[in-house]
Amino acid sequence: MPLVDPAAASQLGAVVSQVPSLPLQASPDDWAFVWENRDYLLSGAGLTVALTVVSLLVGFLAGFPAGVVEAYGEGALRSLVAGAGVALRGTPIVVLLIVAFFVLPTPDLRLLGLEVSGGFVAGVLGLGLRSAAYQAQIFRGALRSVDDGQLEAARAVGLGRIEAIRRVAVPQALRRSVPGFQNEVTIVLKDTSVVFAIGLSELLTRSYDLFVRQTTAVLEVILFASLIYFVLTFSTNRALDYAESYFAIPEGNA
Amino acid sequence: MVRTDDGVSRRTYLQLVGASSVAGITATAGCSAGGGGGEEITPATAPGFPPFEMKNDAGELIGFDVDLLSAVVEETEFTLGEWEEFEFSSLIPALKNDRADVVAAAMTITDDRDESVDFSESYYSADQAILVADSGDFAPSELADLADGKVGAQEGTTGASVVTEQLVEGGDLAEADFNTYGSYVLAVEDLVNGNVDAVVVDTPVANTFAANRPVSVTFTYETGENYGFAVQEGDSDLQSALDDGLATVREDGTYEELTAEYFTG
Repeated sequence: MPLVDPAAASQLGAVVSQVPSLPLQASPDDWAFVWENRDYLLSGAGLTVALTVVSLLVGFLAGFPAGVVEAYGEGALRSLVAGAGVALRGTPIVVLLIVAFFVLPTPDLRLLGLEVSGGFVAGVLGLGLRSAAYQAQIFRGALRSVDDGQLEAARAVGLGRIEAIRRVAVPQALRRSVPGFQNEVTIVLKDTSVVFAIGLSELLTRSYDLFVRQTTAVLEVILFASLIYFVLTFSTNRALDYAESYFAIPEGNA
Repeated sequence: MVRTDDGVSRRTYLQLVGASSVAGITATAGCSAGGGGGEEITPATAPGFPPFEMKNDAGELIGFDVDLLSAVVEETEFTLGEWEEFEFSSLIPALKNDRADVVAAAMTITDDRDESVDFSESYYSADQAILVADSGDFAPSELADLADGKVGAQEGTTGASVVTEQLVEGGDLAEADFNTYGSYVLAVEDLVNGNVDAVVVDTPVANTFAANRPVSVTFTYETGENYGFAVQEGDSDLQSALDDGLATVREDGTYEELTAEYFTG
């Protein structure tokens, strides 16, 4: 037996939707509309996740070496990397995306049998390079936090400079960079919504499509999209929390 | 998930028919200037402006602009490729950078825009409507009355420039009393919530709103603006083909059918 009589419930819905003056109220009809379109929103969320994962990967592959160069490098190479970082961090993400998409212009690709649109490539390029600039700072900070004495000790037992960095500083720095990296994951995840400017329809774009169709459902659609973002950020953060404790540098009283 | 809904773009199409991937990057300019029979053109729009362009229940792009451009291009030697979707403000960059060949997006023909792109003949005329909330007691009857309230509009639209040019620049309306929004739906949401007293938006869109939200059109401000299809500057082949196609669909009744479908009831 239903908890609430369906006839009464729909009557209530009708009454509620007739009250125009209550601000931002959620109506059952609009929630039903969101639920009907959950697949549409979830496939947008799929694109959001794909963009996030690939961009973070690009960001790591470019950002980690850049962080090493900024922490230990010198001369022209270091100036070049640091300068590129300043430029990328100082430019709004939408400008980076528009440059990548409209100015370069990125072509459509076929990779491993998957067709990748030029928009996606541009999105990854913009988000990935920007993330690389931020990740470089995360890793630079973590590397600098390893006491210089450890490197001296490594040199004293016969390791070369590069070997000392690779075997002593990097393993510790990677572990210490997890909290900073957690931030970066959530930032990239939420910044993917900017790709609407270059024609990709991810989660937030699709939310807009929906509330344009049912203009009373603004609050419901936005809340649902926020819930998806929350689930994504919460679960990745918990996974990284776990990774952090699993890989933590062993300490005496553990 | 990597494959997006954009469908096969012209560049992918070129690659599929055997052009090298290098041609995919560089041959696009030749593509729109060629003017050969059956040449595929890429249309672009900014969904979220009903009844001109919006998504249906299946997530497909529909609307007056979409159907009209299809009908018009049908009458030409060109064939219509897959639609690309952008933010409204990205549409002209898309044309200028060859990401699209034609824009159908309720775009008003203005001198400013005419400097960077070319337009077809006008295919629709609109004015600006002033929306107020049914529950409020704000009842402006001319533009000057708006100075007494808070006004909203979608950024980058004619509605926003009317408010800026007629009220804000003259000092009648404080800049703090004028809110712009990324989507006019958010502007109307704020109107219903009482955060603004009036919203300025194109007449056909305002009528769609008045039909499904507790708002109504209190008066219209005549701008006599004309919507046109935008093409790349100098693409006169496509421009004149669109003009001819437009004339044909007006004569054979298709245009009338479409206006009846989208603007009444």
